[in-house]
Amino acid sequence: MDCGGSWLASGSFSLTILLRSRETSHGGPWLDEVVKLLRVVQAALFLTALSNASDYVGSDACKTCHALIVNQFFRNPHYKSIASGTETPENTGCESCHGPGKAHIDARGGNATIVAFSEIGPEKTLDACLRCHSQTISRANIRRSVHTQEDVVCSNCHSVHNSKSPKFLLARKQTELCYTCHASVKAQFSMPFKHRVNEGVVECTDCHNPHGTFAASWRMSSRPRMVDQKEANEEPCLKCHADKRGPFVYEHASVRIDGCETCHMPHGSTNAKMLKRPTIFTVCLECHNGAGSFGIANNGAIHLSSTHNMADPRYQNCTTCHVRIHGSNADALFMR
Amino acid sequence: MKKLLFISLSSLALAQPPVAPTNEQTGALRGDNSGNYNIIQSFELGYRFATVGGDGGMYDSTVNYGDGIRLLSSSLTVQSRDGHGRLFDHLVITTQGLGNDPYQSAILRIEKNRLYRYDMMWRLAQYVDPAATVSFGEHAMNTMRTMQDHDFTLFPDGRYRLFLGYSRNLETGPALTTIQLFNAQGNEYPLFENVHREVNEYRLGGEVHLLGMRLNVMHGWEDFKEDSPESLTSPSTGNNPGQMLNSFQSTEPMHGTSPYWRVGLFREGKKLWAVNGRFTYVAGKNAFVLDEMSAGTAFRGVPTQLQVVTLGNAERPALTANLTVSLFPATHVVVTNQTSFSNIRMIGDAYFTEFENGFQSSPVLPFQYLGIETFANSTDLAYHPSKWFTLHGGFEYSDRHINSIQGQSSLGEPPPHQAAIEQSNQLKAGTLGFRLKLLKALTVSVDGEVGRENKPIYPISDGNYQAFRARVEYKTKVFRAGVYAKSDYNVNSDVLTSYASHARQYGADGSWIPRSWFSIDASYTKLHLNTLGGIDYFSQGIDVSGESSYYISNIHTATLGAHFTVLKRADVYAGYSHVQDVGDGRAAPDGAGLYSALPAFQAAQTFPLRYLSPQLRLSVRITPKVRWNAGYQYYGYREEFSAAQDYRANTGFSSLAFSF
Repeated sequence: MDCGGSWLASGSFSLTILLRSRETSHGGPWLDEVVKLLRVVQAALFLTALSNASDYVGSDACKTCHALIVNQFFRNPHYKSIASGTETPENTGCESCHGPGKAHIDARGGNATIVAFSEIGPEKTLDACLRCHSQTISRANIRRSVHTQEDVVCSNCHSVHNSKSPKFLLARKQTELCYTCHASVKAQFSMPFKHRVNEGVVECTDCHNPHGTFAASWRMSSRPRMVDQKEANEEPCLKCHADKRGPFVYEHASVRIDGCETCHMPHGSTNAKMLKRPTIFTVCLECHNGAGSFGIANNGAIHLSSTHNMADPRYQNCTTCHVRIHGSNADALFMR
Repeated sequence: MKKLLFISLSSLALAQPPVAPTNEQTGALRGDNSGNYNIIQSFELGYRFATVGGDGGMYDSTVNYGDGIRLLSSSLTVQSRDGHGRLFDHLVITTQGLGNDPYQSAILRIEKNRLYRYDMMWRLAQYVDPAATVSFGEHAMNTMRTMQDHDFTLFPDGRYRLFLGYSRNLETGPALTTIQLFNAQGNEYPLFENVHREVNEYRLGGEVHLLGMRLNVMHGWEDFKEDSPESLTSPSTGNNPGQMLNSFQSTEPMHGTSPYWRVGLFREGKKLWAVNGRFTYVAGKNAFVLDEMSAGTAFRGVPTQLQVVTLGNAERPALTANLTVSLFPATHVVVTNQTSFSNIRMIGDAYFTEFENGFQSSPVLPFQYLGIETFANSTDLAYHPSKWFTLHGGFEYSDRHINSIQGQSSLGEPPPHQAAIEQSNQLKAGTLGFRLKLLKALTVSVDGEVGRENKPIYPISDGNYQAFRARVEYKTKVFRAGVYAKSDYNVNSDVLTSYASHARQYGADGSWIPRSWFSIDASYTKLHLNTLGGIDYFSQGIDVSGESSYYISNIHTATLGAHFTVLKRADVYAGYSHVQDVGDGRAAPDGAGLYSALPAFQAAQTFPLRYLSPQLRLSVRITPKVRWNAGYQYYGYREEFSAAQDYRANTGFSSLAFSF
């Protein structure tokens, strides 16, 4: 078996030499076809070699060329697979992720003879990581997450060998990672009123789960898609803003049905209290116009009474009287 | 090594954080060995300063850095070199802003391979809000929120795992609030509120790996307590002179508890399928007492003493269930179906009575019920025929039922029977998108979503919406550039009213690292929003209908950052952040009378302002282990129509950073 594996790896190596020499030579179209065929054969030989357990060489063998990585690997959370000394070769050290190294060594390196994450594409990268990391409930929805659909997989955010964060092997500081793609969110966090993400006291993952989430229990569950939920099933806002949680005798139904973003912009806003509008009465009146069949009673969200003279500034600050606007225990109109 | 440097530099340039703490590192972090451990440590100790001109309250609300000595940042990493440490194998502590910064945090992780892992996160955030545009500034707050999360995992990599957790969230500090007294013709009076809110959450759970399946169970208890007494500091004529409040005292202690269960099940089967499910149940309860006493002069000069007493309970049991099945029928095809169900019921009753000038009103027992039940099913398909092309799409159907009952009964009598008001809403939404990787460095992503709801709950809820997103990105090791466009349109019209919102975002961003000593990045985003919503209100007692609330904002944001290394010894970072809402282009708050005849609505149609912040930071290597840092950051806030909240702030710091 060992001989067979070596032979296959050697064959793969020979073909690699041949293919490389082709890249520097000139020939006709027939030669291109031959090269394509050879590539297929090479891949088949390589995959066959990968399947041979005796082709695992151990992480020490990698040190010869990758000394910097191997010498620093004790800092890596994956080092525990080496330290335990009880894992099988395919679950130990470098080869647990990069596959058996014998063919790679025999070929004196090269991305074609090893599992190189820069080459294998997002799908296989996800599969490789989930082989061990599928176990937590926070990653239960990773296959259906928007990130995965967009080919944003583990190696886009995590760097196993060059992590810049104290936890989770993130390639960079978390906010910077997210801002790389979500530039419009970065713009929102530049607003005067915002959650303190740039200041480092709030993180994107306080509210979002980049690995995918279960359907939201507010709004109509279709959107938002990547917003995490409080430990059980509620909006993540309530993790910190527990006083808005209730339960209250008199709930402001919009908070429970459509969520906090009915009135607030959770990333940032140019308006105080991260409201959607600079003045409070426009926030309220856009719903409370009594029209149509809106509202929980099917007869329009409650219309303001005739005593509210909107020409008087007194009535343009609704929450001056309706102080418990998120929910009240004492008053159906949220006045105490 | 050069590659590592590139990555490090590019990370410096991407965001516009406050000028301190410093990002630059002192030398290579090799650490020192002590016994079987390798130790890396660094800390940055310095002095911050800030001078503010203009509205200090607004500065505190948006920035809030002050003067004083700070431990701007620190980190300690202790790592066992062979993975067999005696008590632990890995220990990490990082801190930020300790001393007196308004935003402080500390993280601790300690782990013994395969035996235990403990994570702690502690955070402190000062919240200041003058609330000048909300409630005449009478709801200003200056509170401190401290949060801590502790999570302990036993056998973190084993087939059986045990979880223990504790979280605490405490908000304290002074605030202002208001009360409307004594009747509908009454007045609003500012009050002082001593905020004290506290949440304690305890978690206990476990996970078992059996028969290729993982079963995760978590039981938690969340306790919430609030007692934020309100009082009047001195007799007040309130917002509308003519009435008087001489004394006021209110206390409303409440105690809520939310025990919850969460059960998760996960299985991935030989790359052909995966299934996971989750079930949660929360039994939220809240008990409260309100005792409010006030004395003053009511409408038409009537001396009034009022006592309000309310006590009762509220409950909110909530149940959710999710089941996700993923199929991988072919190498490049993923089909995922998710079914979810949630049922939330809110039930509350409150004994209510009033004593007005010694006469007790008839005690009543108001009650409310609100039930929300949602069923949703979605199917997503992702197709990867080749490395350069991905196609994905999906369809979701969601059905929501809402039941509500509102009423009241006299004390001691059963509540009158009332049929629940019912309504249901169905959503049908489809998504479609593709991703092209035309070159190794060039990616094009396009996504769209169209949704239809047949009975949105509110005029501004999603009705008929369509969302579109496109992004093109070119990325190499030293250069990255991206452009994107997003739109989100929603139309929700019903009898007598119409609502339409248009949100569009355009942007470009990029970074370039031509040399190891120089990098630059820049971004620009335009956020456009306009909404038009039907309104109906009273003006001078006359019902005004047929008008609309129109709001438009055009926010331009830009950031620019450049990093230089001079003579391999000094790092210089210059950054600039600019936010400007140009509104609808008008030069004065008065509108053109469009959509509403009421001046207040016209003035609320747009809110132009400018918020900018340049910064400059210098970091000089003194020795291989010591750096001297200094920085300056300016903040300028200006509203175009009023100077009342404008401010200018000069902030900065000087520090020494040590690394070992």
